Amino acid sequence: MTTASRRRGEMEPYRAAVTSDCEKLLSRFHETDSVRFQVFSKIWREMNFSQIFYGTVNHQKRAFSRLILDSAYSFFLPPFSFQIRVGGLYLLYSLHQSQTAAPPEQIRLALKDWEDVKKFEKDAMDAQHLDAIYILRQLMLKKAFHFTAMPTHLAFKKLRKKEVPALCEKFIERACRPQEFINNDLLEELSNIHELYGNLKSSVSETSKESSVNLIRQDLIPRLRRTVVDFHNWQHRKGDSEEEEGSGEGASSQQDCSRRAGLIASIKSKAYGEAPEARRSRRHRQVEVDITSSVAGTWKSPAYIRRKIASLRVRTNESLHVSDDMHKGVASASKITHLTSLGFAAEDTPNRLNGGKDRIRVPS
Amino acid sequence: MATSTDTKTNIPDYEYLDVNTNIFHIDAFRSEWLNRLQPSDFSFQEEDQETSDAHFAAEMGISAETMDELKSACSLDSLRCHPEDQPPDPEVVPPDPTLKTLVQRKKKQDHKATLKSSKNRHDLYADELERLTFGTRPEAVTDMIPEGEIILTMNIYYPATFEKFSHVRPHLTLLMTGSHTLAELRDAICCVSDLQVCGEFSNTPDMAPDFISKDHFKSSFFYFEGVFYNDMRYPECQDISITTIEWARDRNFPPYTQAKMEDTRFVDLKVKVGFPYLYCHQGDCEHLVIITDIRLTHKNDCLDKKLYPLLTHKHRVVTTKCAVCHIYIGRWLTTNDQFAPSNPCTFCEKCFRMLHYDTEGEKLGEFQAFPYVDRGAFN
Repeated sequence: MTTASRRRGEMEPYRAAVTSDCEKLLSRFHETDSVRFQVFSKIWREMNFSQIFYGTVNHQKRAFSRLILDSAYSFFLPPFSFQIRVGGLYLLYSLHQSQTAAPPEQIRLALKDWEDVKKFEKDAMDAQHLDAIYILRQLMLKKAFHFTAMPTHLAFKKLRKKEVPALCEKFIERACRPQEFINNDLLEELSNIHELYGNLKSSVSETSKESSVNLIRQDLIPRLRRTVVDFHNWQHRKGDSEEEEGSGEGASSQQDCSRRAGLIASIKSKAYGEAPEARRSRRHRQVEVDITSSVAGTWKSPAYIRRKIASLRVRTNESLHVSDDMHKGVASASKITHLTSLGFAAEDTPNRLNGGKDRIRVPS
Repeated sequence: MATSTDTKTNIPDYEYLDVNTNIFHIDAFRSEWLNRLQPSDFSFQEEDQETSDAHFAAEMGISAETMDELKSACSLDSLRCHPEDQPPDPEVVPPDPTLKTLVQRKKKQDHKATLKSSKNRHDLYADELERLTFGTRPEAVTDMIPEGEIILTMNIYYPATFEKFSHVRPHLTLLMTGSHTLAELRDAICCVSDLQVCGEFSNTPDMAPDFISKDHFKSSFFYFEGVFYNDMRYPECQDISITTIEWARDRNFPPYTQAKMEDTRFVDLKVKVGFPYLYCHQGDCEHLVIITDIRLTHKNDCLDKKLYPLLTHKHRVVTTKCAVCHIYIGRWLTTNDQFAPSNPCTFCEKCFRMLHYDTEGEKLGEFQAFPYVDRGAFN
């Protein structure tokens, strides 16, 4: 192994403890519902977090700095909520400045994460969080970033059982995909198509006008609207019971709130109409709607969790089909089969461990 | 499990999580970064704090008082966890730790203190390689690595032999810049098989072998993503990749192409980070090559072009000592030797002569002797 990878290997046992300490700090920050650096540094001082570097000797310093910066880096990126990401930024800044390694380790910023960083900066600008922007600019000024291809060194280490660390649930941004997907534009398009279809069908078929049109749901769009509104309300209620809502500090949550509010307002305004008035420009349009254009963002598949493969015994028992003759042979056989089997009976599944106890036959 | 890969652009992303990335072109990756950054972001110059603060205040439209307030709120003093006049000792774990990391560290240190550990001088110095070259600047400006250059970290693994390396695959870690050619990487790889001398010399021990394998068999190639890069610098170099290419062609493999090692720079390559590739020399000595990291240069890096390829790690191999004196490293290997306790057996120069040859230099007894190059020759 290289020195670097050996050192990293030495530090691996600390990863869980480091992540837990960072999560503790960030959860206290999360509870304050603030994004001010002063609040963060107060918590930092209370926890004596600078001491996390103490006690490392010589070559361990660089390896430990690397480990803790990599762990803290994950908090700066989605899918965490804006407030946690601000906390992650402050954490990175504080760790980078307090590290004991000399020469200091830098923060590795991967190309694929650049857009997220830029979006974060934009959100902070929009909400005028001066300290967050200032600290980000300070990090750039101090050249604290390494602009890399990937967040960590990769050496084709294929581990048997990949432990995917579970992301702290509290920190994750609340899902707003249903609202993003079923937004005003989509609902309008859907109702347009619905109306056009209804009109076409009824104009084409002269006889039973209602029967073929009745194959489709008449109230699809109002139902969609109701479902999304219900979901949003449920989220609100769930959120309110856990934390104080809307202290206004989280900019992106504010944006989300305003977005949702706008959506609800528009939904409510249309709630009493069957189908909204199609815009004049749309009425004669070809029905060539590209629904996918209104889907927000790309869907990232969830973290890979290795399926637990059933043990060999289970798999064998499942796939092994014992025919009737064999069964009889097995059932009446000697001590050896009883010692080695788990208790076969004609109708029992072979898995039952207790089967043997009930049905041991004394070999004659 | 593959996460979404961006094949159209050259933004690297995981092909397999934490294992390797998808293919991307290195120069295109570099341009992607340079397009997104301001020149000041990756320059080697230190920026002035005052000017930057003034710019920030102007951009945000805030007054000087607000700026001062902001600066004091975000200052590093606010992170200090100890009173100013009592700096703690960062070398020891503080008493009564509350952080889990510190608790774990204390436990480990207490446990380690109970064990007996051998002082290994090599391990102490092995980590110094990186520190030596930190922040070095060249004397001549032309030797300076330009800003926005790519630095690659490459691991060269040693060929697996059965006896010693079944658990450990020792490697070499090199730092290269994007404008280096593959030929320069090849020259930087030191493998003991290059130093082997062929031939049996028991009858003529004084004849200094006048060639080593490195000079004799100069052909080598790299294999990256379906392309074989051959070393064609010398007239003796042959194309040893052609055998593999023809074999593959007969068996319905996707077609492979060839290129010249000395004409290809790293920025021209299309590679996957973290994926194993091959370096083959001496016909059958094969090394795995993995690019572990690609990034832009930073002001703290070693900026002297002459020092690259830069060795940051070299695995230390325990050398085989002479069977007689156990002091010197073995230089001769004998087989079928009636004087030797084992077959084969290593001897250092002096002991070899003393045991096998009389004062006139006549060979005593029956044996075969081969010049031996120990694997730890590069320590």
